[in-house]
Amino acid sequence: MSLLQVENLGVRFGGLQALKSVDLEVQQGEIFGLLGPNGAGKTTLFNVISGLTAASSGSVRWRGACLDGLSSHRIARLGIARTFQNLRLFSSMSCLENVLVGLHQHGRQPSLAALLQTHSFRRREAQLHQQALELLALFQLEASSHQNAASLSYGDRRRLEMARALASRPQLLLLDEPAAGMNPAEKDELQELIRRIRNKFKLTVLIIEHHVPLMLGLCDRLAVLNFGQRIALGSPEQVRRDPAVIEAYLGVGA
Amino acid sequence: MDAGLLEQMLLGALLGLSVYLPLRCGQLSLATPGFFAIGGTVAALLSTREPALAGSGSTYPITSVLLEMAIAAMLTGVLAMGLGRVVLRLRGIYLAIATIALVEILRVVTLNLEFTGGALGIFGIPQPFDSAAGYASFTLALLALICWLCDRLEKTRPGRAMAAIRDDDLAAASQGINTADTKLLAFVLSALVAGITGVVAAHFFNSWNAKLGNFDASITTLAFVVFGGSRTWLGPVFGGLLLTALPELLRPVGDLRLIVFGVVILVGPLFFPQGVVTPELLKTLKRRIRLPPTPTAQGGKP
Repeated sequence: MSLLQVENLGVRFGGLQALKSVDLEVQQGEIFGLLGPNGAGKTTLFNVISGLTAASSGSVRWRGACLDGLSSHRIARLGIARTFQNLRLFSSMSCLENVLVGLHQHGRQPSLAALLQTHSFRRREAQLHQQALELLALFQLEASSHQNAASLSYGDRRRLEMARALASRPQLLLLDEPAAGMNPAEKDELQELIRRIRNKFKLTVLIIEHHVPLMLGLCDRLAVLNFGQRIALGSPEQVRRDPAVIEAYLGVGA
Repeated sequence: MDAGLLEQMLLGALLGLSVYLPLRCGQLSLATPGFFAIGGTVAALLSTREPALAGSGSTYPITSVLLEMAIAAMLTGVLAMGLGRVVLRLRGIYLAIATIALVEILRVVTLNLEFTGGALGIFGIPQPFDSAAGYASFTLALLALICWLCDRLEKTRPGRAMAAIRDDDLAAASQGINTADTKLLAFVLSALVAGITGVVAAHFFNSWNAKLGNFDASITTLAFVVFGGSRTWLGPVFGGLLLTALPELLRPVGDLRLIVFGVVILVGPLFFPQGVVTPELLKTLKRRIRLPPTPTAQGGKP
């Protein structure tokens, strides 16, 4: 069974058909890319999967179970984490605290122990801090762990958001334009980093990105959306040669 | 200092904490005076109408006050849970307006009901303490307890979740935080604090009427938090203590005091947009206090 199934998905915002009968299957362990011009519906698809937007028709299945109508925190608890295209960090908190919030689901402790600061409570809190620091180190952010998240450079903020998403120990990671605002060297590093975390955490990654060379080099499979419809699906090589894709990006007769 | 004024300041600090709790997860609720009024009315009714609570001594038994607090907490808690489910769907200023409406509804109902004494209210509420100093020590203990609970809340998982919701509701939900339940928790805690504060206030004031929980009180208590700061529990405590004391302390300057008071409230947010007490300020203070003397061995933390 595939990990994530998107079946005949449609989303309508008033007169705008943002997604129209989209079908996708994401297999366990793969890096699956979503390409498409601006306004193609890529982020809308992410929002439906993570429970922020309701589907108008069709459904999303996670390991065969329907996700329709589940609120976003329930979906996050099932093991689906995401980052946001326009960065949604907790800006009044330090980097460490941002990641600690990501560890929310795993930090549950008896209230009485928390009130009385028992030995076991403090040990568990120390463990959580350690885990958060390790995640920050993985993204080379350990030096700024006590710095305010809002004070980081753009690239660092993108990495911090990934660290926070990973803290919830997801099985599926949705990355919405992780390379936006990064310089070429950072983009190369990012490609390496995404591969590394996929292997280290046995993740499945669904990624939206405009930088085509990065996507062709990184993804196992790609889907291309245009005007809310899936126009191509396959290996990077297949997608690159697809006439429909060439037409969407370059126009007819190119 | 006059113990009566101290008692009023402590009550102000408690009400400040009640406004602070929902604000800590970004919810601007002005319902505090409503729950405060429920607590006061409960205490006034029970202590004047229920002979079993009166005891045999010359003063009203403290256990009866504690019992009233438990009943007021239960009542406000249940009400806040039911109401919170509905009103917490609103955001920002809309939530503020809905909670003001709640305060007004409660005030008008209390004003028109026979058994709450109508416009005159309830008089002769029995005294558990002989002096204002007795009240002040009791309230100080209560404030200390609630401050301690708030401190623990801030430093643990639900507190982190609240701060996350305040920064970004959507992102918090995407981290697996049940935002609706967390906001409700803060709203209910706020109601509990206001309710039990109302019980103490009713005994202290000796009489209770509908005017004590009105729109003015909503704004005054909000000012405590805006002035003091809403990022740590010390903010509303500081704001509540200072802004309750200020009109009294300024009495020597006569009618000018109202102007001075207004200027303080205006200038506070202008120079301290986050409130006077912020986590950054506390960090700096801690560092300053630690630096001059030689580091002690028992400090523990590097």
